[in-house]
Amino acid sequence: MSQRRVAITGLGLISPYGGDLPDFFARLLAGESAVRYLRTDDIPRPLSIPFVSCPGFDPDATLGRALAGTMDRFAQLGTAAAFAAWADAGLVRGQPAECRENWGVAWGTALGGTLAYEKGYRELWQKGRERVSPLSVILGMNNAANAHISIQLGLGGVSMSHTVACASSAIAIGEAFRRVRSGEAPVMLTGGSDAPQAYGVARAWEALRVMATGDETTSPQACRPFSADRNGLVLGEGGAALVLEDWDHAIARGATIHAEMVGYGTSCDHSHLVRPEAAGQERALKAALADGGLDVTDIDYVNAHGTATAEGDPVEVAGLKLVFAEQASRLAVSATKSMHGHQLGAAGAIEAIVTVMALREQSIPPTANLLEIEPACLGVDHVTSARRNVPVRAALSNSFAFGGSNAVLAFRAVAR
Amino acid sequence: MDSIGLIREFLHDRLGISPDSVIPEAPLDDLGVDSLMLLELMFEFEDRFGITLSKDLKSPKTVGEMAVLMDRLRSEQS
Repeated sequence: MSQRRVAITGLGLISPYGGDLPDFFARLLAGESAVRYLRTDDIPRPLSIPFVSCPGFDPDATLGRALAGTMDRFAQLGTAAAFAAWADAGLVRGQPAECRENWGVAWGTALGGTLAYEKGYRELWQKGRERVSPLSVILGMNNAANAHISIQLGLGGVSMSHTVACASSAIAIGEAFRRVRSGEAPVMLTGGSDAPQAYGVARAWEALRVMATGDETTSPQACRPFSADRNGLVLGEGGAALVLEDWDHAIARGATIHAEMVGYGTSCDHSHLVRPEAAGQERALKAALADGGLDVTDIDYVNAHGTATAEGDPVEVAGLKLVFAEQASRLAVSATKSMHGHQLGAAGAIEAIVTVMALREQSIPPTANLLEIEPACLGVDHVTSARRNVPVRAALSNSFAFGGSNAVLAFRAVAR
Repeated sequence: MDSIGLIREFLHDRLGISPDSVIPEAPLDDLGVDSLMLLELMFEFEDRFGITLSKDLKSPKTVGEMAVLMDRLRSEQS
């Protein structure tokens, strides 16, 4: 079967700023941080950390109370994002499933229903109860989001979840891409979601000494990728979804095409669980370029993984320099986690959308809070000022996970 | 609270259904109570009334059948 071109016809996310996707992207272009100081009311262990929440998201209003009640927050965020992407693609929910028997879902989540599990543990160990909710299993299971999405959208093809830490949804998007490109599925709904604001999760990340510190005043500036004074990542909750569609199928139904997805590269460092390696990232970057038929001279922007950890940022720049060589110094790079935080399994999907929006709007968002570049991170063109309006022909989105799993997505702009 | 009162409270909290429409003749299916939600409702009964429902309990079809069943179990296990 000949390879198909893959159109991106739908984008949807739950914005931490409370508005729609154009509002989300406009705020990123302006360099506006969504990081706030989160204080939970969990007794006796309240959480207080810099965090990115989606306070404007009302699951009951968006999904209906009956449906929302059968979901952990990660599935609520994911399903709502899928609904938004579906609507953006001009597709209608509730059409007969037989029309969509080979349309599928590929979803990413690092933690799945961790809030449901934590609630169950509190019931058992803290309150001394001997039973948990009969919904615990279906709330907690990692494939809950993609299962709900398949049911709600009436998609009868594959429904799968990918759990690859911080690369989960990038890998989900890549696997969805392959299914559309091969002709196996004319449409794939893909993306990711996570809601990591569980006490145990936050304490576990703190124990790794990779969490940024901050308070009520300083939290918006807590995440500073590539900066000499960076001090770690900021977790966040979120959900983001894309509709990938056979190009001819999209054209035939008159869909708006935001961008073209052209390549997907993966690799494993195969060396250490948490210490990234430039050589492994180099392989994923080169694989994505080759897969997309792209040369380094074609790439105008890279949305970096850029978590603002001490080890991760310099290694990412080193990997880019290995691949882009003399082209590296002109390569525009930004880490938008500085503003929207790190949504773990949703991060790859959020950043894929940011990358597609940069191609669509021909405008690159900055790395916020980057005042003095760490010397080890020099060598690429860090975007530090708001809204860089330049021609963006093709772009990459990097996602590098604990465990050494690397994923790079490649996109091309379409004439508008 | 009696059994039908608990059913009304549950369906109001969980689905936003007005207590007035939760009448004994109403089929649970029509009210939106599927097999999963029936598990939630039975769990609620066990919790609130301190009774134990056997795993092979025959599923009630209507609000009235459920209320009668729960009343009987409460009486037997009190």
